[in-house]
Amino acid sequence: MAALDRANEPQTPVQLRPRIPSGDNSVWADVSPLLHAACQDLQEGDLIHGDNFNLYAAMSALEIMDPKMDSGMASTYYSLDEAIEKGAAPVPISADKTTDVRCIIDIMDHLLACEATWHKGHSLAQTVYSCLYLLRPERTSSHVLLHSYCQVIRATCKAVLSVVADARTHEEEDLFVMAYGLPLSGDGKERCLPLLNAVEETICRQLRASKTSSSKRRVSEDIEPLQNNPDLEEGYCKALLCRLRFRKHFYHLLMSMKRPQGGGLELAREHIASCISEIGHIRKSSDFLRASAPEMSEKNVENTTASGCQPIGFDASLNSRLSAPTPPRAIKIFCLEKALEYFVKLLHDLDVICSYSLDPSLEAALLFVVKFQKSQPDLISRAHLQLLLVQNGKLFGRYPMFSMITRAAGLPEAAENHEFQKNQLMVQLEQMVINLLKIICTNAAWQRRKLGKMLQDLRVIHVQLELAFKKEFGNTSNNENIGFKIFQHILVWLEEQTYWIAFRFLTVGFELELYADHDYCMVYWYIYIVLINLAEKKHLRIAMSSGAGKKKTKKKRDSLKDGGMNYQISDAVKFLQSQIYLAEGLGMMLAALRNECKIVPPQSPFSTEHEIFIQQFDLLLKACLPESISYQTYKESTAQANFSTLAMCDYFKVAHKMAKELKGNFANDPDTMAELGRIEQVAERNNIALTVISRLGSADPSMKISFTLCHHPFFATAIVKRS
Amino acid sequence: MEHEAEKSVQVQGGSSDSLESDPVSRVRKLLFRRMLIGIKDGRFFLGNFYCIDKQGNIILQDTVEYRSTRRSSPSPMEQRCIGLILIPSSCRTSCHVDVSLDEQLSLLSLNEK
Repeated sequence: MAALDRANEPQTPVQLRPRIPSGDNSVWADVSPLLHAACQDLQEGDLIHGDNFNLYAAMSALEIMDPKMDSGMASTYYSLDEAIEKGAAPVPISADKTTDVRCIIDIMDHLLACEATWHKGHSLAQTVYSCLYLLRPERTSSHVLLHSYCQVIRATCKAVLSVVADARTHEEEDLFVMAYGLPLSGDGKERCLPLLNAVEETICRQLRASKTSSSKRRVSEDIEPLQNNPDLEEGYCKALLCRLRFRKHFYHLLMSMKRPQGGGLELAREHIASCISEIGHIRKSSDFLRASAPEMSEKNVENTTASGCQPIGFDASLNSRLSAPTPPRAIKIFCLEKALEYFVKLLHDLDVICSYSLDPSLEAALLFVVKFQKSQPDLISRAHLQLLLVQNGKLFGRYPMFSMITRAAGLPEAAENHEFQKNQLMVQLEQMVINLLKIICTNAAWQRRKLGKMLQDLRVIHVQLELAFKKEFGNTSNNENIGFKIFQHILVWLEEQTYWIAFRFLTVGFELELYADHDYCMVYWYIYIVLINLAEKKHLRIAMSSGAGKKKTKKKRDSLKDGGMNYQISDAVKFLQSQIYLAEGLGMMLAALRNECKIVPPQSPFSTEHEIFIQQFDLLLKACLPESISYQTYKESTAQANFSTLAMCDYFKVAHKMAKELKGNFANDPDTMAELGRIEQVAERNNIALTVISRLGSADPSMKISFTLCHHPFFATAIVKRS
Repeated sequence: MEHEAEKSVQVQGGSSDSLESDPVSRVRKLLFRRMLIGIKDGRFFLGNFYCIDKQGNIILQDTVEYRSTRRSSPSPMEQRCIGLILIPSSCRTSCHVDVSLDEQLSLLSLNEK
C-alpha cells in the first residue's frame, strides 16, 4: 500500500511539502506506513478518534475531491494568472477585427445570461465573475469596447448588490450578496457612463458610415469601420448598439430608483421603456448573428449567446473558492432567451413599483405590496420596493411613521404632531410598522415566518399601551381630550392591524402549500374566526373615526352579520363579511365531510388532529389571537356539522349574494372588483357542489370529493365526481 | 524554523512486548496532532488529526488548504481555511505528522525493536 502511494507521487508536481513549516523544534514524520498498518488492525466499522468525537459533527465534514463539496479542486487552470498566461482571455480577443467583434458580442450575451442567473440567487463569483475579463479590470483598458462594457457590468453589479444588501430581503437567497474578493467597483466609480457614451457615439457614426454608399465612404475617410467586412458592418454595429444601450439604460434605471423619496421614479420609467425596447432589438439581432457565426448553428434554446457560439474568457471553476464557505454548486447558466425573459419580467415589476402613486397612507402601501407580491416578483424588484417604502424611518422617506399611524387610526390631523409620539411605546410601535413594511416585501416563506413571530410582539405592545392608557386616564371617559383619543384610536387600529397580519399569515400558507386536504377544515375555521375579529375591529375603527364611536354598543359578530340593519356598516366591512360567510361555509362543509367520513384525518400516533392544530396555529395561539381559542373550541363548533341540515348552503348563498351586491359599490376599484368576482364564483360553485352532495347523500361510496384552488388563491372550490 | 528532515516510521515495529508498539494505539497517540496530508491533485491539507476509519479515510479539524497557483513548478502557494474536512484514502498521497525531535527519536527507538 505504501509502495502504491509512492507510485502515485509523480502526479504531484513537486515536493512542495517542505515549504510548509512544521512547528518549532519539530519535524514532519511520515506516518503513512503506520496508518496503513493501523487500518489493517482495525475491525470493520471501527474508528480511531478522541473523546470529543461527535459522529454527527463529523458528518458535516467537507469531502475533499468530491466535486459537489470541494470547491478547491484544481480544474483546467490552477489560478487566474495561469489562465491568462495560457491565453484563456486574450486582449484583443482576435487580431482579426471581425472575429474580435463577433467574440465580444458573445461575451456580452453570456454575461447577460450570467447576470440573470445571479439575480435568481446564485453566487456572483460563479456567474457574472466567471468572466476572466471582469476579474482583471486593468487588462482590458487598451480595448475600449470591451473595457467600457466590463466597467458598466461591474458598476451595475455593485448597484444591484447594494440595493439587496441594504434591503436585507435576501435571507433565503444568501448566496446573492456574497462578493468578497471580487473587483466590484473597478477603477473609478463615476467613469463607466462617459466611456460607454463615447463608445456608443463612435459605433453610431460607424453605423451611419456603413449605410452611405461606398463612393461617399471615401469622404468620411476619418471614420474607421468597426471591422473589416463591409457586408457585416451594419449588422454588427446594430447588434453592439442595442447591447450597449441596454446596459446604459439599465444602469440609469438603477440609479434613478435609488434617488431619495422616490424622486427618480418618473425618469426610471422612461429608462425601463428604453430597456424593454433594446431587449427587442437584441432579440432581433440574433438571426444576423447566427448567420455570421463561423459554423452555422441551428437555433438552440440552450444557447447563452445569440450567435450560438461558446463565449471566450469564462471559467467558473477558477474562483469557485471565493464562494466559500458554501460548497460549490452546480450552476446552470440561463440560456439567452430565458435571461431576456427574466429581464423583461424584472423591468415590468420595477415599472409597477415606479408607477405607484406614493399615496401617503399606510393601508394603501400595505395593500399595494400584497398586490405586488401576487405576481411573484424576484429578489431585485422586492428589494427596490422595500427601499422605496422605508427611507430614514419614514414612509417613502417623506411621511413620518407616527403621522401615518395616526392617520390610519382615523385621528384628526392635530394628532400628528402630538407629543405622544415621543412616548417609548409609540417609538416601538413605529419600529414595528417599519418592520412590517419590510417583512411583507420578502419572499413568501420568510415573510410568513416573520409575520407569525411579529404577532406576539404586537400583542405585547397592545397590552402595554392598554396599561399606559388606563394609568393615564383611569376610568374617566374624557373623550374630548386629544391624548385620550389618540390612545383609544391607536389601540383599536393596532388590533385591526394584528388581525390583518394573522389573516395574511394564514392565507400565505396556501401559497406555500403548507396545508394538506385534511387540514383545510381547521384552516378555514380559523380564517373564519380571524376574519370575524378583523371585521369587528375594522368596523369599530371606522365607526370611531366617523364620530359614531361614542355609541359604544356591543359589537357582537351576530350583529355584524345582520348586514347593516342597525348600524351604518361600511363597504370595507361588508366586503370582509362576504369572505366570512365563504370561510364559514367552507369550514362547515369540510367538517361535515369529516364527520360523515368523507375526509379521514390522519390516524398516525405522531400527528393527531390535535397536534396538527397546534403545529398549524402555534404562533396564533401563543399570541392569543383571538383569546380563548383552542383545539377544544374548534372541535365543539364543528362536531355537529352534517349534510342532513341544508342550513350550511346558506353560507355560500349569502356570500354569493353579498359579493354580487357589493360590486356596485366598488366600481372604481378594479382590484376589489376582481376579488368580489372570484368570491362570487367560488361561492356559487361550492353551493352547487354542496347541493349535489346533499342530494346524493354523502354515504354514496361512488362519490369522490376533492378541492381545488384554481378559482381563488385561498378559498378552495369543491369538485364532486362519481366514479 | 524549517526542518527538511523526514524519517519514515517503520511499520514492522508492532511486536508483542509492548502496548505502545501496537499500531492502533500508536495512531491513537497521534490524535489532535498537526497532520499534513498531500493529495493527488497537488494540494496539501494541514489540520488537526481528528479521526481515521478502517478504510483509511481521515478527518482533519481546523484545516488550512495549500495549493500552488501554477501547474508548472516552482510556483507560489495560496492558502485558505476550510475547517472540518474528510480526505478519502483513495486520493491521499502522503501523510506526515508534526513531531518534536525527541519524539521522533523515541519513535525510531521503538521501531528498532
